[in-house]
Amino acid sequence: MSKTVAITGAGAMSEAMRQMNPDVVPAFPITPSTQVVEDFSQFIADGKVDTELIPVESEHSAMSACIGAAAAGGRVMTATSSAGMALMWEMLYIAASMRQPIVMTLINRALSAPINIHADHSDSMGARDAGWIQLYSENNQEAYDNLIMAPRIAEHMDVRLPVMVCMDGFIISHCVQTMQTEEDDAVKAFIGEFQATYPVLDTGNPATWGALDLQDYYIEHKRAQHMAMQHAKRVIREVSDDFYKTFGRQYDLFESYQLDDAERVIIAINSIAGEIKEVVDERRAKGDKVGLLKIRSFRPFPYTEIAKALEGVKVVTVLDRSESMGAYGPLFGEIRSALYDVAEKPLVYNRMYGLGGRDLFMEDIDKLFEENKSYLEAKKVETVFDYLNVRGG
Amino acid sequence: MSDKFRLKEWQELPLGGVVPEGGNSRYYETGTWRTIRPVWDAENCINCLTCWVFCPEDAIILKDGTTKTGKPRKEVAEINYFHCKGCGLCARECLVNKKGKKTVIEMIAEVS
Repeated sequence: MSKTVAITGAGAMSEAMRQMNPDVVPAFPITPSTQVVEDFSQFIADGKVDTELIPVESEHSAMSACIGAAAAGGRVMTATSSAGMALMWEMLYIAASMRQPIVMTLINRALSAPINIHADHSDSMGARDAGWIQLYSENNQEAYDNLIMAPRIAEHMDVRLPVMVCMDGFIISHCVQTMQTEEDDAVKAFIGEFQATYPVLDTGNPATWGALDLQDYYIEHKRAQHMAMQHAKRVIREVSDDFYKTFGRQYDLFESYQLDDAERVIIAINSIAGEIKEVVDERRAKGDKVGLLKIRSFRPFPYTEIAKALEGVKVVTVLDRSESMGAYGPLFGEIRSALYDVAEKPLVYNRMYGLGGRDLFMEDIDKLFEENKSYLEAKKVETVFDYLNVRGG
Repeated sequence: MSDKFRLKEWQELPLGGVVPEGGNSRYYETGTWRTIRPVWDAENCINCLTCWVFCPEDAIILKDGTTKTGKPRKEVAEINYFHCKGCGLCARECLVNKKGKKTVIEMIAEVS
């Protein structure tokens, strides 16, 4: 039986980690992911898990220890945020390229400078090419569910890639919401036993990890990694289907909210989707054909699936919460690329919002639907890229 | 060339660039790196095995032999040019070479 609890996003993550009982958790706490590690280390102290916690001297060391422990043959998890993940940078690529199925909670937070600890997606969007699967979470429930699905996706033999489960800092990580948690045994049964590949502790079968790989093989290894990411799209769906059958909550590569007959659609990632749904409901009640497409899997990116879901849509507003200075927002680039294959292309434009935790309220979202209505009437996008809620316009 | 050295396609590779067996550096020809080669003179060699101790590539090959009084011992058999990188440590450390009267290991230019 599932249980209804009131818990913070970070609390939900540490609860999922307790239930999954990983072999090793190397961690260097950083706000706002600190609470995940703090709660989890309490579980260790209380004897509720038998995980080996490795307190390390930096985030670079945390990911290095994750890679070492995974190569040794263990199920490995960690949690980080913002500058912490930035310090992991070199090792993020190594974890993915060495095909280590590490699972990491990433609580999305701005990067300095100026120093800011609040929600935006600069950390994970910058790491989008590192080779990690990226799952995003609208709320505590989705974060918990994504984290429970993550080991199954990461460890699937057609995938063997690390997964980061992302959620918005403070807005989700530190806010209490009611949600369903599942029974420990059910979670353990769902994730199953960890299967190691070429574990270095298997001294009877010696293997070399991380060997030199030059012009004669590097590109073949990258090609294989690319294919693993392609497989991940299928595997995320399979695991999500099994999750639905087991626990009754349904997920896909993205969420289509009132998309079927929608003319004007906002596309967004993470917690802002909650507010957008409210506004969509209000407008739908008045007969306005608006909808939301919420990204769950940003890597792998479901280009063809999104193109299909947007067939018949006339205007698409893409919200980005991380800058790519000198370029459009990262989500917009992907969406416009996906839409190139649609026969009747909708108008599409980009709005930057929420950097460093700046709020975007329901009335702001309502204005966006007014704006894309005027674009639809004019049959033309007046401003392709602009900022929302910034003083000075 | 045997199948072991065929360049594989990406679908055939072990996960994540792992080398899934031990001791296979023996199949890797480092001899092509050499610009100077050691030439060993069996006549002057006293079989002290100092070269064998110092060789970083294990390229000094030994064989079973006997002393003048008939005791069993190891003797230098040959130099393995498949692995020898031509570093010259054997020639520098050779005890006979150091005395300066005779030469057991001489480094000569590699001619392609």
